[in-house]
Amino acid sequence: MKTIMLVCSAGMSTSLLVNKIKAIVSKKGLEVNIIAASEAEAKSYQGRIDVLLLGPQVKFLLKKMEDLMTPQGTKVAVINSLSYGTLDGEAVLKQALELL
Amino acid sequence: MGEIKKIDEVYQTLLKLEKRNRDGVSAQELSKELKADRANISRYLNELCRSNKLKKIKGRPVLYCSNKARKTEDTPAKIVSSFDDLVGARYSLARPIQQAKAAILYPPRGLHTLLLGETGVGKSMFAGLMHRFAIESKTIREDAPFIQFNCADYADNPQLVMAQIFGVKKGAYTGATQDREGLLKKADGGILFLDEVHRLSPQGQEMLFTYIDKGYFRPLGETEKRVTADVQIIAATTEDPESYLLGTFIRRIPMTITLPSLKDRGLEERYCLVYNFLKEESKRVGRSIYINRNSLISFLLYDCPNNIGQLSSDIQLACARAFLNYKTGNKKYLLISQADLPGHVKKGLMKLHKYREEIESLLQDKGDVLHFSPEDDRQEIRPEVKGTRFFYDIIEEKLNSLRQIDMDEDKINEILNIDIESHFQKHLENLPAVIRKEEIRKVVDEEVANTVDKILSLAAKKLKRSFDEKIYFGLALHLQKSIERISNGDKIYHPELNHIRASHADEFMVAMEAARIIDNKFGIETPLDEIGYLTMFLIKNPYKTRDKVQKKVAVFVIMHGNSTASSMVEVANKLIGTDHAIPLDMPLNMNPEEIFELALKEVNKLERSSSVILLVDMGSLTNFGEMLAEKTGREVKTIDMVSTPVVIDVCRKAVLGQDINEIYRSCRGNRYSPKLNVSQVKAVRSRQKNAIITTCFTGEGAAEKLKEVIEKELPAGSNCEVLPLNILNKEHYLAALKEYKEYYNIIAVVGTVEVEQEGLPFISAVELLSGEGLNYLKRVITELDVYSRIKESLKEHIKVLDSEKLVEDVRQGIINIEEALKLRVPAEVKVGIVLHMSFLIEKLKKGIKETEFPELKEFRDSYQKEMALIKKALVRIEKNYSITISENELAYLCKMFTRNQISGSTGGEGIEDDYAGLLGRDVDQPVSE
Repeated sequence: MKTIMLVCSAGMSTSLLVNKIKAIVSKKGLEVNIIAASEAEAKSYQGRIDVLLLGPQVKFLLKKMEDLMTPQGTKVAVINSLSYGTLDGEAVLKQALELL
Repeated sequence: MGEIKKIDEVYQTLLKLEKRNRDGVSAQELSKELKADRANISRYLNELCRSNKLKKIKGRPVLYCSNKARKTEDTPAKIVSSFDDLVGARYSLARPIQQAKAAILYPPRGLHTLLLGETGVGKSMFAGLMHRFAIESKTIREDAPFIQFNCADYADNPQLVMAQIFGVKKGAYTGATQDREGLLKKADGGILFLDEVHRLSPQGQEMLFTYIDKGYFRPLGETEKRVTADVQIIAATTEDPESYLLGTFIRRIPMTITLPSLKDRGLEERYCLVYNFLKEESKRVGRSIYINRNSLISFLLYDCPNNIGQLSSDIQLACARAFLNYKTGNKKYLLISQADLPGHVKKGLMKLHKYREEIESLLQDKGDVLHFSPEDDRQEIRPEVKGTRFFYDIIEEKLNSLRQIDMDEDKINEILNIDIESHFQKHLENLPAVIRKEEIRKVVDEEVANTVDKILSLAAKKLKRSFDEKIYFGLALHLQKSIERISNGDKIYHPELNHIRASHADEFMVAMEAARIIDNKFGIETPLDEIGYLTMFLIKNPYKTRDKVQKKVAVFVIMHGNSTASSMVEVANKLIGTDHAIPLDMPLNMNPEEIFELALKEVNKLERSSSVILLVDMGSLTNFGEMLAEKTGREVKTIDMVSTPVVIDVCRKAVLGQDINEIYRSCRGNRYSPKLNVSQVKAVRSRQKNAIITTCFTGEGAAEKLKEVIEKELPAGSNCEVLPLNILNKEHYLAALKEYKEYYNIIAVVGTVEVEQEGLPFISAVELLSGEGLNYLKRVITELDVYSRIKESLKEHIKVLDSEKLVEDVRQGIINIEEALKLRVPAEVKVGIVLHMSFLIEKLKKGIKETEFPELKEFRDSYQKEMALIKKALVRIEKNYSITISENELAYLCKMFTRNQISGSTGGEGIEDDYAGLLGRDVDQPVSE
């Protein structure tokens, strides 16, 4: 079971995206767990997730999160802004799976 | 026999030339005069020197003069010396050098000298040069000693210092087992240089002064025997000459020479120093060193408290880093760029705004990358030689000089390419003559381009006026199409032909001649109507022809600070000889409302119909224009980040009666890139089709050609049309434009000749073809596409609000925040913020509780001002959606904007981008406001 976490500043816009991705995941029957978190919550997941995707608006967290998560084997990236802007769950999931 | 004749000829010619060049004659000049090989001439010259007929004068190039000529002016100051090679020998060091020469030549054996100056100004080197000069002037023997001693070396043992200088008699103290000669005695017949002389103990000082006064001394432990020595003392110290400690030295040492610190030596000299150091380094590493312009500027401007010594070591450090990158293959050349500079050096670039003019005039004929080669000894920089030269000439010259040193062609190409590429990134107004043809040939036949060249040089001669790039491009594009049309037998019609003929007879005559050139070249017959069009390219201001005399535009200068505006205006008004510009000072304790009221009062004093240009520096002042326009119903334009030259320029144009838009555009024109900011593209409805207008006089010539170019470059599937339009008649054109605006979102107008057009970015043909204009269009269209897709997708998710309007409001809000905070965030981040804010507004609208921001209080303490500005920028959104954005939410927003900002982001491309990289890490952000 792989875990993908989406992070935005207040956890507001990502939750919608997470729900969309969850729907796709269950439809495809993938072994993937999707969660949403705010910046503050993200740290507590250190070492427990496989991919961490950042909303473009919190791009500034990239360096910090990489320092924090990469040593534990977590892949960190910023969500493609077009996928994010159009809340394209399919595209975001694809981006995440490619990182795995 | 022939040999002897030749040598006489050389000698005679030299005597002749010498009358013109009193300083001496170089082998080069002689070879030119005699049309003979330089190497042979040099051989004769050397022979003449050996037979004592000529004298050699050291320097570059080596000069020769007859012994006759020299005798008559054998004054001491004329002895050519190593001093003369020093940077600044004729400027900041002129007086010190004069003093030093006097100190050496003063009979019988020179004056003892005290050298003053900060650490690193070059006191030791200067003392060394004095010694060399003493030899050159034959004051001392060729092998006379130069002994150096630093009094700080044994400063904690004053006894030892004295022993070093004055020597020791056996048994003077424990361990002094035999007589030992001191440095003063060793320097007999020469010079003793005592560095940091203030560290000498009082007893040591007294002994030194005794020697200075009487010419003898006693070694330590010696009571009877006096030792005499014929030594000139040069003492040096970094102490402040005002200090008590130095008082005695200055009183008792007859000559005091002060060497200037680096900051007192001016930029030109600093430039020469940097040049020499880089040159030295390149000799040291045995290969060419390149340095980019900004790095060079950093070296010219950074605070360098330890003077030349520090400058030299900082340059060495940068060279070493660059060398490493080169060796490890990270870079193809040994190129010094910002990343190689020590942190404190990088900061130099931030002072550019203070010295911009001086730097620009200093580096004006230099490329963006400067080259220092170990072989090339040509002194490229002479501060007294200044002149504007075209890029082409520079390239040409470089090409020649590179060929002279036998570099192979490929390498020359590479080098010149570096120059050229970086040159291309410079501002468009500098688009050099050599490149325009390359660019124009992408779309126009070579024959047409050549014909345009001919026509414009003819016109320039006949009309005594020069024609700029825009005309060149416009005419070339126009001609390409109209030749096609004429050849095809298409009709050409000029509705204003008679008016043009009547009011511009001179230009029309030239156009007739131009038509003949065209006819001969292309075998066509140019109709009269077409000659009417040609005429229009040659008229100074095609649209001025029928304009009524305009009222002068009022100019207000509003600046932060107690007297900034007043003093700028004083300069401008004085220079122009009017009192046209009106200053409004805004002391820092005055709030924006007060100054706005003042401005309003002043504007209301003006005649009813006058329009106003506001010249402001920054902050809230930049928004005054719109507010004033709203309140007074006048036309108001604002130009921000204004400097004194801008005030002068605007004021001059206003006094000349130029139209407000014309003035505004000409100012904006100077700053093309920063103003073409994607974020400033006005908000649009998503279903509206985008359009780019292309213009030319006919709407069929250049405009069609430009349309082809743009359409070829637009991203596939983009929602954008290109519409050609003629600008023959300004009123018709504006009416057509207005109509298009109804149906299209017009992104920009691209054309050969600029017509005033409200609120639309104008891209000239030259800008378009050079790439920058196209990039701009592509960026804008891509962004518009992205946003229309966001709107579509949000429609499914946000039901309570009109998602289309919401996204546009949010975008505008983001632009407002960027402006208020004076920063920019990357386009991709903006997309994220749009989504965040859209959902935020929806959430608040639904009455859902705000999200708490962790450690809000601490955050607020550091970002109070930013949060207030954001709040203010979002007032309209709060009002329109009847919501209140709480502090928690403001803090989130604040973080997104401030942490994601593109650093140094108020500017545009070019140098500012380099700034962006520079300001990223180890340099402080410049304080704004």
